[in-house]
Amino acid sequence: MKKNDRGKVFNHKNINKFRELGLLGFIIILSIFIQMRNPNYLTLENINDLIKNTAILSILAIGMMMVIITRGIDLSVAATLALSGMITAMTVRSYPSLHPLLTILLGTIIGLFCGAIIGFLVSKMSILPIIATLGMMNIYRGLTYWISGGKWISSYQMSTGFKRIATGSILGINNLIFIAIVLYIVAYYFVNHTRTGRQIYAVGSNPDSAKVSGIKIDKILFLVYSIMGVLAGLSGVLWVSKFASAQSNTATGYELTVIAACIVGGVNIAGGSGKISGIILGSLLLGVLKNALPLIKVSPFWQDAIQGGIILLAVVVSALVKRSVDRNNLIRREV
Amino acid sequence: MSEYILELKGVTKTFPGVKALDDVHFQLKSGEIHALMGENGAGKSTFIKIITGVHQPDEGEIYLNGQKVDINNPRDAQKLGIAAIYQHVTCYPDLSVTENIFMGHEKIKKGTNRLLWNEMHSEAQKLLDELGATFDPKTRMGELSVAQQQIVEIAKALSTNAKIIIMDEPTASLTKSESEELYRITEKLRNNGTSIIFISHRLEDMYRLANRVTVFRDSKYIGTWEVNEISNEELIVAMVGREITQMFPKKEAKIGEEILRVEKLGKIGFFKDISFTLHKGEILGLTGLVGSGRTEVCQAIFGITSPDEGKIIFEGKEVKIDHPLQAMNLGIGYLPEDRQKQGLVLEWSIEKNITLPALDKVSHKGWLDKEKEVEIAQALAKKVNVKAKSIYDLANSLSGGNQQKVVVAKLLTADLKVIIVDEPTKGVDVGAKSAILEIMSDLASQGYGIIMVSSEMPEVLGMSDRIIVMREGRITAQLSREEASQEIILEAAMTKKRSVNTA
Amino acid sequence: MENTDLTAEKNFDLKSFFFQWEWVLVLILIIVNFINTYLSPYYLNTYTLLDATMTFLDKAFIVLPMTFVIIFGDIDISVGSTVALSSVVMAVAYNLGMPMSLAIIICLLVGTVCGMINGLLIVKFKELSAVIVTLSTMTLYRGIAYTILEDQAAGGFPEWFTFPGWGYVKGIPFILIVFTIFAIIFALLLHRTTFGRQVYAIGNNAVASRYSGVQVNKIKFIVFTLAGFMSAIAALFLTSRMGSTRPNVALGYELDVIAMVVLGGVSTSGGKGRIIGTILSIFIVGYLRYGLGLINVPAQVILIIIGLLLIFAVMVPNLEKYFKRKKTKKAF
Repeated sequence: MKKNDRGKVFNHKNINKFRELGLLGFIIILSIFIQMRNPNYLTLENINDLIKNTAILSILAIGMMMVIITRGIDLSVAATLALSGMITAMTVRSYPSLHPLLTILLGTIIGLFCGAIIGFLVSKMSILPIIATLGMMNIYRGLTYWISGGKWISSYQMSTGFKRIATGSILGINNLIFIAIVLYIVAYYFVNHTRTGRQIYAVGSNPDSAKVSGIKIDKILFLVYSIMGVLAGLSGVLWVSKFASAQSNTATGYELTVIAACIVGGVNIAGGSGKISGIILGSLLLGVLKNALPLIKVSPFWQDAIQGGIILLAVVVSALVKRSVDRNNLIRREV
Repeated sequence: MSEYILELKGVTKTFPGVKALDDVHFQLKSGEIHALMGENGAGKSTFIKIITGVHQPDEGEIYLNGQKVDINNPRDAQKLGIAAIYQHVTCYPDLSVTENIFMGHEKIKKGTNRLLWNEMHSEAQKLLDELGATFDPKTRMGELSVAQQQIVEIAKALSTNAKIIIMDEPTASLTKSESEELYRITEKLRNNGTSIIFISHRLEDMYRLANRVTVFRDSKYIGTWEVNEISNEELIVAMVGREITQMFPKKEAKIGEEILRVEKLGKIGFFKDISFTLHKGEILGLTGLVGSGRTEVCQAIFGITSPDEGKIIFEGKEVKIDHPLQAMNLGIGYLPEDRQKQGLVLEWSIEKNITLPALDKVSHKGWLDKEKEVEIAQALAKKVNVKAKSIYDLANSLSGGNQQKVVVAKLLTADLKVIIVDEPTKGVDVGAKSAILEIMSDLASQGYGIIMVSSEMPEVLGMSDRIIVMREGRITAQLSREEASQEIILEAAMTKKRSVNTA
Repeated sequence: MENTDLTAEKNFDLKSFFFQWEWVLVLILIIVNFINTYLSPYYLNTYTLLDATMTFLDKAFIVLPMTFVIIFGDIDISVGSTVALSSVVMAVAYNLGMPMSLAIIICLLVGTVCGMINGLLIVKFKELSAVIVTLSTMTLYRGIAYTILEDQAAGGFPEWFTFPGWGYVKGIPFILIVFTIFAIIFALLLHRTTFGRQVYAIGNNAVASRYSGVQVNKIKFIVFTLAGFMSAIAALFLTSRMGSTRPNVALGYELDVIAMVVLGGVSTSGGKGRIIGTILSIFIVGYLRYGLGLINVPAQVILIIIGLLLIFAVMVPNLEKYFKRKKTKKAF
């Protein structure tokens, strides 16, 4: 079996490492480039700002990663985020004395509800994830407009306590960043060290085998969309608190940024694989781009085009790499 | 305590229309390697599925250590210590070796629900070490070769404390050195007290490994022998059973000029150095074990895949075929192996299926002419004698044999010169079988060149003018009708000797 | 013993003729219009019925090729962005001093190229699903529109360019006439030509189609290109009606279009559906929107209703399976 060790330089494990190192290298090179164009980039203040802005994106990326691992996709995250943010903000407006933790709980429950509906449609009704989430995205967005009457909730209508969710800090770390770190630790533990977490990968890697192994596929699908909903609901509260405004068009199109962060971070769009470390880097890259474009005087209107280009590039490159690995494996086979 | 760890008595299993196992007996001694042999369709797969709980027998009893047991599902089988390793490994390519070994019976810390990775990795390492594997249990499954994946499957079986391991043609897609490795592991398992049922088409596997051999034929139990007490010839006679008494509708055809020639055709990882010629009016049998590269060669000629090297010469001109449409336009037709997946649109009527490859014949400038379509489909369906109420019946309402006739009718829509048929009679009843073979014989006598891929020995011998035998992606024998015999073909298909005599 | 000699004629089954999804759609269409009449006494006259079509027929052009795409079992969610990009490029081209006729040709070209890019990526990279390809080009195309116009509007088209969106020919809206022509072309293409037959074949069984000599890649490429081209046609009418354009026009068109196709009885698992069904559902959704507008239901609530419509349309065929599964589970 010795000879199979030949050509091992070019296997999946190395490619994943290479991808992550490459991504990190790219982020560093990009940062140096930006720094050369604008020295205000690598200041403590800006970096803090950058990470704070990336926190919400990275939280959403956790859920999206799990969804994509099961071979699904969720277009409704931004709409869920907006709905949860709006309802929470309206509640805060009416009950300013509400404890900030309760507002977080409220948003999370709304998100759970939104996610569970999608989970039901996908797992029990066998509706394609793209169709189910496209439909629910519009329903949630419509609901947000409807309940708010299209009006904004602005900073002055929110209690200080609520706004402090995003500005306050725990142990000297900004709350948003703190929450993201905690969630990442929990998620890392969940997907790597619990049976259910590993079953998510099993379902995406080979649904037929999963069935034979006795894994309840329905349950896993329902779970991942519910988790996605919970994280989107939580992000809604954080978002509204951070920007101190709730609008019915909050985060429109943000689902694509989240999907981009996952795909750039090496989550396989065909399901089965994706790593926590990857999506941290993926979120970071998109966060850096968003933060840096205005600094180097690129119009913010380029954001979408760049993002679309990045997703496309990432999927095409990983498809090409996979092809060459497969070909290499065939050559190793002796006829 | 019984002498036998596993014993099957009078097991019968019937599927709609087919008797897959007919009063079969089997006795497995504790700590032996028991070879199970038989031609394709002899009932071996059904037999495994009964032992592993995928199917339940209609009649008969299963005894484990002398105790009568019911195996109602795969989980029961696992609990009873029975595990199976298949030729096509079913695994999670994205997950690590360790996870593949422990999926479904992970080690978990009580109370916290935490997976005990270290324990699982070291246990996996131990299992792999025992099996002499050199790869790391943290490797992704998808990176391993088929042989290594099989070792993982064996490790998985051991991790569930399996006492009986069934190996279903494990060597079919392995190279020589990989097979050697597998032999070593299998013997080691036996020495550790595991009982093994080893299913294979290769005689060398049996001689190398087995203590005893049982032969099935036509869903029936034929006999069990000590390996060192049965000769090669006796064994083959037991498997094949009879001289060919079946009549094949082979008509005399005038063998004409050369129509197709392939030279040194090769595709990385599938086949290499394939050269042969086909003449008008000739039926060229292409045989060998499943997985020997027969189908892949045909698919390359038909343009489903593209070969990496070599030439295809059609009617004296070198041609490059990138798409089935090009092959069909040249005059090469292909009857695929899997009629349900590759041959038919099951939700469609017979009529629409028949005309799909010949839409330009039932249309004017792209506009469908439904009258003409019905006319052509009706004529062809009659010609191949499809049994159905009307040509508007859906393909999925037909029996296997009639479905296959529809696929044959599809071929006849085009002006072909060469027809490649891949397992044309697989899973069809006797009546349809002879009808299909008769059509082929007719076509040959009309001057078509026919390549017939088949695993059925009598069919190959009865129908072919010349026979090519493949093994592991290479041609191992080219035989004329006169010199061919079952023994020679089986020998070329199953044993290692490489004697390439290109015609 | 039944006759099995292939002689039976294709019999006209009255029951299955009436139990077709299209009749349900006709019924829904009548109900929608009935409600509209009830809501507004001025509604039910030919003038209003015809006039209403002008408000919703632009996206109907995309429904036609989308029917083909979904029959494949694929999806194209970049169509809204294609509309935006071709509309913006047309406006910019005109404002750069090109004659309007040339700008229109450019608009059609841009849409076609967008579709070709989708088609090429989907055909060349089989490991990528149409979902992910069109998801990224959706962002990309609209992103490009933003880089061109940022948050500006562009317009100032010549007087005659209002005609496509607002004009009449002998009392019939011009857009309705053009749509009817396209609808007939697409219906004939799908149901009467070898091309359409092959589209169904691919949707039902792409592998068997390939073995039967169907050029799967070529046909898929053409269909995605057609989706781009028809999006450009939609862009023409939309821009004409609005008089100016912005990068955020046609936002969410993909939802309406996909909802119409699915409601029209085209299965998302591929292989099934007819143009007549999708045409009926265009008018159902269109008149529904129009009627809800009459009673001043806000656009966002309409969004909810369309979303629900989409979910229910895909759920109906699956519900039966779901309950069957439940039953068998209980039986064990």
